[in-house]
Amino acid sequence: MKKDSCLICQIVEGKIPSFRVYEGHRAVAILDVNGANPGHCFVIPKIHYPILEQVPDDDIAEAFSIANKLSVALFDHLGAEGTNIFVANGIPAGQTVAHFMVNVIPRRQNDGINLQWQPKQITEEEVATIELKLKDELAGTGVSHASRKAAARKSVPSVRTGAPRPSPAAWDGDEDPAVTHLRRIP
Amino acid sequence: MAQQQPTPEQIKELQEKIAKMSPEELKEFQKKQCIFCHIVAGKVQSRKVYEDEHTLAVLDINPANPGHILLLTKEHYSIMPQLPPEVLEHVFLVAKKLSNALLRAVDARGSNIMVANGVAAGQKAQHFIVHIIPRREKDGVVFELPQRQQNEDSLQQIANELAKSLGAPAPKKSAALLPDIMERIKETEHKDHQERKRKHERVPAKGADAPEKPSPAAPSGNKGEEKEKPPKKQPGGDINLDDIARLFGAKK
Repeated sequence: MKKDSCLICQIVEGKIPSFRVYEGHRAVAILDVNGANPGHCFVIPKIHYPILEQVPDDDIAEAFSIANKLSVALFDHLGAEGTNIFVANGIPAGQTVAHFMVNVIPRRQNDGINLQWQPKQITEEEVATIELKLKDELAGTGVSHASRKAAARKSVPSVRTGAPRPSPAAWDGDEDPAVTHLRRIP
Repeated sequence: MAQQQPTPEQIKELQEKIAKMSPEELKEFQKKQCIFCHIVAGKVQSRKVYEDEHTLAVLDINPANPGHILLLTKEHYSIMPQLPPEVLEHVFLVAKKLSNALLRAVDARGSNIMVANGVAAGQKAQHFIVHIIPRREKDGVVFELPQRQQNEDSLQQIANELAKSLGAPAPKKSAALLPDIMERIKETEHKDHQERKRKHERVPAKGADAPEKPSPAAPSGNKGEEKEKPPKKQPGGDINLDDIARLFGAKK
């Protein structure tokens, strides 16, 4: 951890002055002085975690609850027409400080902020592959019927052929992945 | 999700109808109109990747990047402030889980989590959605958050207003130095990242030559290997959370 050199940590500790608009047990909300719009705040866990995946569940729950309260306050008291909750997680995603934060941005029509994207064209096959990989990663979590089935299949080794079976979750798609593979052979 | 644009006459007619509805009727009406409620109910086809008691995650058909996930609540809520607190917390814990899975599944180097509340914020559907967008360097996705100088008095006023409505004591801090400090934070941190990134790049990871795009077509020669893979193995193999954390200087 580079807590000592993290300037966000110094804001949390009060070593750097800031407009602290809310203080919870695990997270605080700070008004951004160079915000995208007046009222732009960021919610930061008090403990230093660079990226979302490292932040413990309790801290996430509190950070987003505070973000929601802020969102309501921005609607009710600052005349926001909309709000964005925005997290940049990792440098390619636009993260500039190595301390996880949730941005809460009040919005008005035509305020010059652009959080839109141009849809990318992706082949059906590519989408299907991503779907399978994601299901594979997420198998056994949630209560999805498909993932339960997948989890159950995982524990059953293939006795009939003795050959290694494809990843069980991969069978939950619309199409047998082996068939997809065959199609890929030039 | 694609939705047919109604004509102006239809909109007017609807608005009149909606104005006469009770809140319960209105919610029921919204649900009937809502494409995402149809997806949750299974009436509209979608590529579901995760489901639990409160939420459903599907792949976006108009993705910013391949792997773009829409996390929906099963219950119809128009905007985030309508969510019950426990559901709200649950939703973002699921978002964390999905972001984590995305980093592995599509070899993403980062992710954006985004919610748009209201049309002014870019909300397009009448259903609360959390976007989870996998990111890579130079992927063509640009989210512009301008930095705007604000004067100290209005900052203090806004801070007081927000703190008051959140039940917190009025912030007394002088912000005289703040813009300067925030600039410094952003500059130094950014420089730090760039340096670390360069260092990181100089030592190529095992799979540094992995394809830029998460290509669906695994080379056909890999077919056997693909099948032997244990189910939980990372598809790309070369990226993990530690790598990403190290970009930020966290210890191993």
